[in-house]
Amino acid sequence: MKCPICGREAVADLCRYHAEAKERVRAAYPLWVKAYGSIEWKDYLDNVKRNPQTGQWAKEIAELLKG
Amino acid sequence: MSTGYTLVICEKPDAARSVSDALSGGESRSEQVEGTTVFRFSRKGEEYVVCAAQGHVYGVSDPSSERTVYPIFDIEWYPSNLVDERSASAARRISAVRKLAAGASKFVNACDYDVEGETIGYNLLKYACGGKEKSALRAVFSTLTKEDLVEAFDNLKAPAGLELARAGRTRHAIDFVWGVNLSRVLSQSALGSGHRYRTVSVGRVQGPTLEFLVEREREIREFVPIPYWKASGTFEGDGVRLTAGYAKERVETRMTAEKIGRECVGKEAVVAALRRSTVTVGPPAPFNIGDLQKEAYRAFRYTPSRTLQIAERLYLGALISYPRTGSQRLPPSINYRMIIQGLGRIPEYSAYAAGLLKEEPKPVQGAKSDAAHPAIHPTGEKPKRPLEASESAIFDLVVRRFLAAFGPSARRELAEATLAVGGHEFRLAGGRTIFPGWMKYYGRYAGYRDVEVPLVSEGDRFRVVGVALEDKFEQRPPRYNQSSLLEKMEKEGIGTKATRADIIATLLGRGYVSGEGMEVTDLGLSVVEMMAKYAPTIISTELTREIEGRLEAIELGTGSEAELLRGTVRSIAGQLAELNVNEETVGREIGSALTATVAKSFVLGKCPVCKAGDLKIIRSRATKKRFVGCSNYSSGCHTSAPLPQRGTIKTTLRRCEHCSWPIVYVMGGRRPWRLCVNPNCPGKEKP
Repeated sequence: MKCPICGREAVADLCRYHAEAKERVRAAYPLWVKAYGSIEWKDYLDNVKRNPQTGQWAKEIAELLKG
Repeated sequence: MSTGYTLVICEKPDAARSVSDALSGGESRSEQVEGTTVFRFSRKGEEYVVCAAQGHVYGVSDPSSERTVYPIFDIEWYPSNLVDERSASAARRISAVRKLAAGASKFVNACDYDVEGETIGYNLLKYACGGKEKSALRAVFSTLTKEDLVEAFDNLKAPAGLELARAGRTRHAIDFVWGVNLSRVLSQSALGSGHRYRTVSVGRVQGPTLEFLVEREREIREFVPIPYWKASGTFEGDGVRLTAGYAKERVETRMTAEKIGRECVGKEAVVAALRRSTVTVGPPAPFNIGDLQKEAYRAFRYTPSRTLQIAERLYLGALISYPRTGSQRLPPSINYRMIIQGLGRIPEYSAYAAGLLKEEPKPVQGAKSDAAHPAIHPTGEKPKRPLEASESAIFDLVVRRFLAAFGPSARRELAEATLAVGGHEFRLAGGRTIFPGWMKYYGRYAGYRDVEVPLVSEGDRFRVVGVALEDKFEQRPPRYNQSSLLEKMEKEGIGTKATRADIIATLLGRGYVSGEGMEVTDLGLSVVEMMAKYAPTIISTELTREIEGRLEAIELGTGSEAELLRGTVRSIAGQLAELNVNEETVGREIGSALTATVAKSFVLGKCPVCKAGDLKIIRSRATKKRFVGCSNYSSGCHTSAPLPQRGTIKTTLRRCEHCSWPIVYVMGGRRPWRLCVNPNCPGKEKP
């Protein structure tokens, strides 16, 4: 099975790089909620995607999770 | 041809000329032997002939001519021209030495005194001179000045254990066995999966170095920044207005940040503490090659390999000492006073030299030493030819670092005031140099900035007129640059002072990393991923470090080369077997990464005209010339631009500040140059 984002060999649904990036995106959400007081999941993903500091794989995951 | 002369073998033609000039007092005669220049002269009643190698003229290879077979553990030394077609001149050099050896009664190895130099001299003496490697005398010198060369030849060393050459030859053998086997298994796997042939290699030091880059690349690409806030207060009192940062540099939540503003603005702040101190800053240690490469990158952005090349040219011009040294120490035997006096004859340094010569010069010494050579230092000679800009820059850096080593410690005044208001603290800090000491000699390279020291006293009161909040995000880790990567390799104990720069250049050349930012390509990621999965030992820092340690033991005469070779072969054989079993997967993964990397290497960036397509390097089927064109051509974007037809073109991922078109590197000739691909770029207009 191929990773839907990059076409590399997938472990489950994603390649190991994007799977790890997904973990990082999920793990950072509670920290954003704490920092801003509150932020919706979709707004969070939008912000992560737009932020110039966000890594390429994390941006691609944010895009995928937004659906 | 007369018989009974002393045959002197130097590492490079320029060194042969310097040796001849020094020993003959400029009276040597040059002649051509087998198309190479050699020098002949008499000295103290003896006849001398001085010839030169051109770096390594022998290399390791396997006896088989079949280039697809592996594993290869049966290796031999061959003339370099048989191993590498780029070394065509090796045949002439070997032939000249062989011819000259027939008439020589005494042999002197005058190659650079380090592992590589010993190996070059040893191989020529062994193979071209008919087994003279154990009887040849050794000339040991660290600069190519007349004084040093005469002293070296007046005190030629008797043949000893040849440990440096043994270590050098073992290093070459191990690196060949490692490189050839891995390269063949990976390249063949990729080829077998239907991709075009391309060399995919994982050298002994290259593998772990690439892994450092991949590890960092993954951190960067997976990075999710966490928000935080930075607060700073503006304070007024007695006609003074100050800005001070909040003591806690990172405020974790917006609520806390806003609370700081609410609780401070309009309140009175008091200078609760004021710390003033004077610190002494000692001069930096003299340069070893790693330090020089790092400093040249910091000061001029020169890559480590470029710095090494320039330093070698300065050494061959007798302007600086031998650069491939690990030492940070300057022994008195180099004659500090004479060098400083010599530098005093160069106008830029005359005032500094005069100042230092008022007392007996004594340099600061660094911690690292090298038995073969002292730290890099100027010889005190004036350039005999106009130096190129890059040579002048490195020469100036070496001279100033040397002079700085003799300077007194500098003193800096530091001050930090704490302003307290309603349970919150703000900090105001500054620092300035009050006695420059060595910084005067090191000049702009010293890198200390003066920041105004706050003129406040404890108990001073101010009103908080505002608190500014800045939305911040964590910064992703920086990519390695060539300098920080070199530092990492040094810290991890992999590679040698002589090889690290070349390894970094190879990673770029193989397409595992690209651009100035050292971004790892798909191919680089894939190679490390496959190695980590099927042959982890190949990219193991521990194994590479262990081999370096055992090579050092051979240099010191305490290690066994046969044992080290056997151990290395065992390690590689096991890993090759594992890769072989998984050849299909390895080939598929590396092959697709190779295709993706090659495809990306043609993409220069988004088209600045249609903003939809990519500007790509395209080769015309009709004219075979390359040019830049938009991938959106079929949809109507006809943006195109000519490209230089010579040299390699690499993407930089940078855009021109004048027109936003992509900038490329054109590599060819002496050094790469940047080019905005827009032929009508306003930045190219002549004023």
